[in-house]
Amino acid sequence: MSSREDILGRVRAGLQRDATNAAAGRAEMAAALSSRSHGPKPAMDSNPQALLERFRVKSEQQSSTVEIVAAESAVPAAVERYLTAMKLPKSAVAWPSLAGLDWAGTGLQVEPRGARDADLVGITGCFCAVAETGTLMMCSSPDTPAAVSLLPETHIAVVQASRILPYMEDAWALARKELGSLPRAVNFISGPSRTGDIEQTIVLGAHGPYRVHLIIVAG
Amino acid sequence: MARIRVAMFVTCLVDLMRPRIGFAALKLLETAGCEVIVPKTQTCCGQPAWNSGDAPGAVALAKKTIAEFEGFEYVVVPSGSCGEHIRVEYPRLFVDEPEWRDRATALASRTYELTDFLVTVLKVDSVPGDYEGTVTYHDSCSGLRGLGIKQQPRALLAKVKGVSLKEMNGCEECCGFGGTFSIKFGEVSAAIAERKCDNILASGAQAVVGGDLGCLLNIEGKLRRMGDETTQVLHVAEVLAGRT
Amino acid sequence: MEIKSMQFKANAAGSLANVVLQGNLKNAKGKFVTRRAEAIKDLDDFEGTRDAAEAIRNKVIDNMDLWLEAFERKALDTGAKVLWAKDGAEVCRLVTEIARSHGVTKVTKSKSMLSEEAGLNQALEAAGIQPVETDLGEYILQVDNNEPPSHIIAPAVHKSLDDVADLFHKVHGTPRKTEIPALTREAREVLRGHFLSAEMGLSGGNFLVAETGSVALVTNEGNGRMVTTMPKVHVVITGIEKVIPTLEDLSTLMRLLPRSATGQPISNYFSILTGVKKPEEHDGPEHLYFILVDSGRADVVGGDFHAMLRCIRCGACMNHCPVYQTIGGHAYGWVYPGPMGSVLTPLYAGMENSIDLPHAATLCNQCGIVCPVKIPLPDLLRKLREKQTERGLRPLTERIGLRLWAWVAQRPRLYALGASVGARYLKWLAGDTDRIRLLPTAPEWTLGRDFPAPQGKTFRELYAARRNATPPT
Repeated sequence: MSSREDILGRVRAGLQRDATNAAAGRAEMAAALSSRSHGPKPAMDSNPQALLERFRVKSEQQSSTVEIVAAESAVPAAVERYLTAMKLPKSAVAWPSLAGLDWAGTGLQVEPRGARDADLVGITGCFCAVAETGTLMMCSSPDTPAAVSLLPETHIAVVQASRILPYMEDAWALARKELGSLPRAVNFISGPSRTGDIEQTIVLGAHGPYRVHLIIVAG
Repeated sequence: MARIRVAMFVTCLVDLMRPRIGFAALKLLETAGCEVIVPKTQTCCGQPAWNSGDAPGAVALAKKTIAEFEGFEYVVVPSGSCGEHIRVEYPRLFVDEPEWRDRATALASRTYELTDFLVTVLKVDSVPGDYEGTVTYHDSCSGLRGLGIKQQPRALLAKVKGVSLKEMNGCEECCGFGGTFSIKFGEVSAAIAERKCDNILASGAQAVVGGDLGCLLNIEGKLRRMGDETTQVLHVAEVLAGRT
Repeated sequence: MEIKSMQFKANAAGSLANVVLQGNLKNAKGKFVTRRAEAIKDLDDFEGTRDAAEAIRNKVIDNMDLWLEAFERKALDTGAKVLWAKDGAEVCRLVTEIARSHGVTKVTKSKSMLSEEAGLNQALEAAGIQPVETDLGEYILQVDNNEPPSHIIAPAVHKSLDDVADLFHKVHGTPRKTEIPALTREAREVLRGHFLSAEMGLSGGNFLVAETGSVALVTNEGNGRMVTTMPKVHVVITGIEKVIPTLEDLSTLMRLLPRSATGQPISNYFSILTGVKKPEEHDGPEHLYFILVDSGRADVVGGDFHAMLRCIRCGACMNHCPVYQTIGGHAYGWVYPGPMGSVLTPLYAGMENSIDLPHAATLCNQCGIVCPVKIPLPDLLRKLREKQTERGLRPLTERIGLRLWAWVAQRPRLYALGASVGARYLKWLAGDTDRIRLLPTAPEWTLGRDFPAPQGKTFRELYAARRNATPPT
């Protein structure tokens, strides 16, 4: 007998599986998968301004820094200002989906491609953001490679205010609507990587970025 | 007005170690206007057997206790631990005996921990106690997490004029007693008790007060071994009742 | 992993005598407990969320066969392969075969307790494949002669800054660093090379999502993302109980898991991985394998300990356990410590190999109160004690003692006599003091504390005397 059959056989025996309860179980399973019911969610003011504000506060609590700009065209200059202020190099890898922004005009060297180990700054967008916890939702694709938000020591993310949603449940609904099925990698990111493994003392920059800077496009 | 007839379940530890706690409970109930009966044949509720894996022993002792106490309007226990066993565990002991389960459930619904009974059922306005000094309260686990005993003893202590309550850090943390745990893993048990006693001493209270004699014996034993000769260790009934 | 749970008592004594460990435990306890207490405050309906989480987990384990088949179908649709392992040996065999078939020489691992159960690192090493633990805590333990973890979330919680500073100085051959950020940076630099060169990444799975055939991974360090993004092969090892129905259910559970574990509202990284890289994508594995592991779980389904299968491995029970707080995780002698470990070890590694564990608890129910999926841990521990008694696994003296005591307690006259004699005996032991310093009938008690003296007569004696003196009016 295969291990699969052996294991499932013992599970079925434990559940006293028979045709009747199997049918009931399948009906229950179909109901659970189609109803997509959710548990209690923390109350939240869902007008756009309140969502933006909550997202900002929660992001900062996760040790991200935040700047709000009026339009997408202002993003390259904001990135330049941030890198200057932080005394970071003016070259970066960016998601190919952001290739259309005028990076060169602000003196930045931005290469739209996948990330390499030597990249010090990574610029990404995000699929959407979750106000409840100050979280970015990243969906991988050829134009939005996952490692850009992971390998560089500095991660800069562009967030459209219109895509700040109240809850993670809303993010799933949006993904189903816009993408149909899930991409290979959905990464929810809430601030810089960190560890507390030595004496429960939180240290930023474990294996991923040391700093996460969010540029929110309000327009 | 007809007096409320209350049966007191003394508990085996109080019987063996600290009868004065039983008399204090008696005084509190009688002062509040109850007629108190102490059934003579009572022994132990069976919790030690249940917690040690002796289900048949636990069932036998539960049946005995149910038969002795089910005729009374209320059963009052000066212990959160035994109280929890009767109120919460008894109905669960009789999986295959529906008749006994019903009797256990009926008894459980009429069984109260002492301070809970005084506050919730009798709604007492005053207590006879005359203790003078600062006390800190140890919430024992079964009473707190099993029966929700938290405000009741504090509300009653507040009625004793000379008492001022000073909460310790970690008052809801286990003292390390754990019944047979205390004699199976004596060193671990005593080490847990040490943390509790550190908190008691840090509170600066003259007395630590609790609702379960098991915890109190553990705490007193550890305090004395730590060299503390002054902190009093008292059952809440002793403080509330004054001299018996 | 070799089981050392039979030495629980000796292990515990060792822990109590270890001054450094005692300091580290005290330090950790406060942080875990306080952070969780703070973190649950911003859920308006924490108890309602616990109820929902319990219901989600019950839904799956009550029909586990159906949900496993549903997950498997979806996972296959996404291009993953699904394998099944009955025990640790089969896990080791499967992982080694996968590694060989892809020409793998190095495996980076994010934390997997199941791989600890299986002793996978040793098996890989024996096959000439280098396993590299990448969770900082697990890495610290691996380079310290493969020391076992002492906590499921914070594996190196028993170690101090000084311990780690000495260790890194020794194994990395670098100048000794004394700051935690510098030590963390050093480990980052060592491990970055491994992340980029390993051909295979191995992870556990916090949840398997039936709706999408995905694995959900929760990490803070980013190592989970690394091992599932950079190598060409990704192998997921999870227990068969880890399935949940939908993405919405994932959201509910994620409101509880990080809060219960580390006191965070959400972990830094929460990855939901589905299928393999498309040819035009820059990163991600080309091959994805799920190994669904039994190792004792299937036999728990539907039995007395069914509720234990709800466990989501947050560690809150051990963080809040007075016994764990006092002796740490190693004393428990196997992969899982604390209350959940004292239930799982007998079930997965043998009741006869862990006689003490179900008794190594005060039944204070602090664990039951904090458990995010409401597992009645004290009830399960008590049930294990009952099973031990039924199977004759407890010492004969204890069994006879218990039965004798219950027998006497059913005979009121005999019991009253015994209590009178006992009260006098204890009073005699105390002499004219208020305490007994050595209790011959229970010497364990007086190892670390005194036993207060009794009044000397029983309540029933005094009560009878009082009633005789003052007849009721």
